[in-house]
Amino acid sequence: MNPVRSDASVMPAGMRLLLRTKCLSLHNRAVQGIQASPIRIASTALFLVLIWFGLYGLFWAVFDYFQRTPLEGAVAVPLVFNFFFVAMLMLLTFSNAIIAYTALFGRNETSYLLAAPIPPKDLVTVRYLETLLFSSWSLILLGLPLMMAIANMPGARDAGAFHVLFIAMFLFFVPIPGALGMLAAWAAARYLPRSTRRTLLSAGIALMFVATVWGLRTVQLSGGESSVWLRDFFLKMEFVQSALLPNAWVSLGIERAMHGKPLEAVMYLAVVLANALFLSLVAVRVVSRGFSRAYDRAAESRGRPGRTPAQAAGGFAGLLFVYLPRPMRLIAAKDFRTFLRDPLQWSQLGILFGLMGLYLLNMPRFQVDLVSERLSLLVPFLNLSAISFILATFTTRFVFPLVSLEGHQLWLIGLLPIARRNILLAKFAFAMTVSTTVAVGTMGLAASILRMSSAWTAVYLAVTFAVCIGLCGLAVGLGARLPMFGERNPTRIANGFGGTINLVASVGLIVLVLTGMGAAAIRTGIDATAPNVYATTIGYSLVVILIALAVGGAAMLLGARHLKRLEV
Amino acid sequence: MEPAIAIESVTKRFGQKVAVDDLTLTVPPGELYAFLGPNGAGKTTTIKMICGLLRPQRGTIRVCGYPVGTDGLAAKARLAYVPDQPFLYDKLTAREFLFFVAEMYGLRPEQRDRRLDDLIQQLAIGAFIDQMTESFSHGMKQRVVLAAALLHDPQVLIVDEPMVGLDPRTVRTVKDLFVQRTREGRTVFMSTHTLEVAEAVSDRIGIIHNGRLITVGTMNELKRRATGSATLEEAFLRLTEEGDEPCP
Repeated sequence: MNPVRSDASVMPAGMRLLLRTKCLSLHNRAVQGIQASPIRIASTALFLVLIWFGLYGLFWAVFDYFQRTPLEGAVAVPLVFNFFFVAMLMLLTFSNAIIAYTALFGRNETSYLLAAPIPPKDLVTVRYLETLLFSSWSLILLGLPLMMAIANMPGARDAGAFHVLFIAMFLFFVPIPGALGMLAAWAAARYLPRSTRRTLLSAGIALMFVATVWGLRTVQLSGGESSVWLRDFFLKMEFVQSALLPNAWVSLGIERAMHGKPLEAVMYLAVVLANALFLSLVAVRVVSRGFSRAYDRAAESRGRPGRTPAQAAGGFAGLLFVYLPRPMRLIAAKDFRTFLRDPLQWSQLGILFGLMGLYLLNMPRFQVDLVSERLSLLVPFLNLSAISFILATFTTRFVFPLVSLEGHQLWLIGLLPIARRNILLAKFAFAMTVSTTVAVGTMGLAASILRMSSAWTAVYLAVTFAVCIGLCGLAVGLGARLPMFGERNPTRIANGFGGTINLVASVGLIVLVLTGMGAAAIRTGIDATAPNVYATTIGYSLVVILIALAVGGAAMLLGARHLKRLEV
Repeated sequence: MEPAIAIESVTKRFGQKVAVDDLTLTVPPGELYAFLGPNGAGKTTTIKMICGLLRPQRGTIRVCGYPVGTDGLAAKARLAYVPDQPFLYDKLTAREFLFFVAEMYGLRPEQRDRRLDDLIQQLAIGAFIDQMTESFSHGMKQRVVLAAALLHDPQVLIVDEPMVGLDPRTVRTVKDLFVQRTREGRTVFMSTHTLEVAEAVSDRIGIIHNGRLITVGTMNELKRRATGSATLEEAFLRLTEEGDEPCP
């Protein structure tokens, strides 16, 4: 008997076997998906195409604008690329670190393979490739429309060579943050105790937040003449273009390819490739050599008891829902504690609303423009749009799976001396508490910064509150109507049929709300002095609020009825 | 002859907690060794160290003479591990998973097919072998994982709670299988809370408590040590109640 290590071909037998098994698993998943839910696959593909075309339009508009203003264009286009790739470098390193940590130290599959005669190097290499694929597909999603937009610009040269170089540049860039992320994950498992690791996660998020603040502050320009604008901009952005940074190589390569200089682009491509290969080699070698110790250390820290900050904060949960009857309060507090103990949940919400907050804090810079009547109507409308879409992401991803995740404990909940509709109400109370705090808070901050009139402030706060009710009602209600009780992975629940329906319904509700509020704003904008303009605005807003309440309420009723009939 | 498993002065700590404390035990080839202990006694930690998943802070572990720490792959090629939570790839059929395991251990196709035919019969997995494993009950998964573990005919089989979720007929089959293996000179190291199974099939029983091996012996020796005990259950309760005195 010769275990897999004895093979001496180009690709080690263990790696080949693992990759083949992964491909087979992926193939089975695809076939099953197509057979079981073709509509879901088709709607996902349709959404993907829509996103691609949307991005294509956006990028095309940006580059078209730059092309029409040659001076700014000459300076700004390389900087746009630099910014894009420096942001990608940071984001991908961070996401690779998180995904690699889970893949290397958190999966049962790793324990299984570690007990088998698979060389650690093969296992680590396959994990590295998996991590690259999972964390970097978004870059490809963004990259393809970007490439198409540039290639289709009027006057673009040699589109064929450009496409090849562009795709190669993206593919060769991806392993650089991938390798850095994997090394970071390994170092965290190997050298830091668990509490520190959590601290590191929080620190990473805080670091990204600070970097974003810094980045945004850097682009705050002095205004005035374009020469001052350019000088200021260049001085503050100089560090991004350092020749030692990978984003600079990629940006320069793409720029050369755009300008019909394929040989120079190939030179930069070679620099990116060489560094990507070198870093990949270092990462796989270092991690596979120290893998067994790091795995052991990670297992040690999992077994170590301790009171985490999230646990301490969990004590606050009981107080937060004091307005609910006791059994419902317990369920809502339990969900809130789970929310606090899952960094994935609060960090995503924190990052999205943090970015929104950053944008709002920088609003005073544009006050000169906001005296314009149209902008003062448009900006709150755009704020409401952004807040609503962020909320829809949160409710679909984290609130919708709540009922399904109770599946394994449903026998317990079924025996509790509490009506099942109250279980739903408790989940609704949890979702409302989180979403209202962040959404209404952000809208209030926006109104204060924009110095909106108290009437408009009241209208927008009321509408935001109604959107919270509508989206939370939809997510909890549809979560109960279309549950996936067998599934324990919230991502799969959110990505399932019910989750897709919830997302589509949420987007539909937001479109209705925005249409109503947009109509109110346009009417006010056309003739603010009309005698009944405020009555009309309030009328539009009331309709919008009623729609949101009706949608949320109907979904809750639907869910409660289904849950009542459900046999445990 | 090299012992199948040789654990010498092994200590494993999780922070301040000592999970396994200066453990020494030897299991010769052809023995069915039952490893018993209350929850949190250190059974699974010991098993994970034997399989190379965890590293002891002190001491050495050898499987068939190969040190798990420095020559891990040689040791791993000779053992099979069935964890308490069976792992299977959700989106593979049981047959695809078993083919994967066979290739991992370097079995030739004809060897694989022959072994698989036997195991399909013995563990009664034929009815669902071509279904995706995501739809399996715990017992069905456990049977497939057992088949995977036995596919390469390992010299040492390490099983953590093998009987959980199995129906009475399969429990009987598994017990017979373990006994048959030891008759063929293979070793089975079994951690379990099902004391009747341990009593029925094991050659020797070791009891671990608070990370320390408090006694090792045959069924009769254990009963004698726990004076007045008629069953393994009584002996186990008395010995783990009496506490921490390590065995001589």
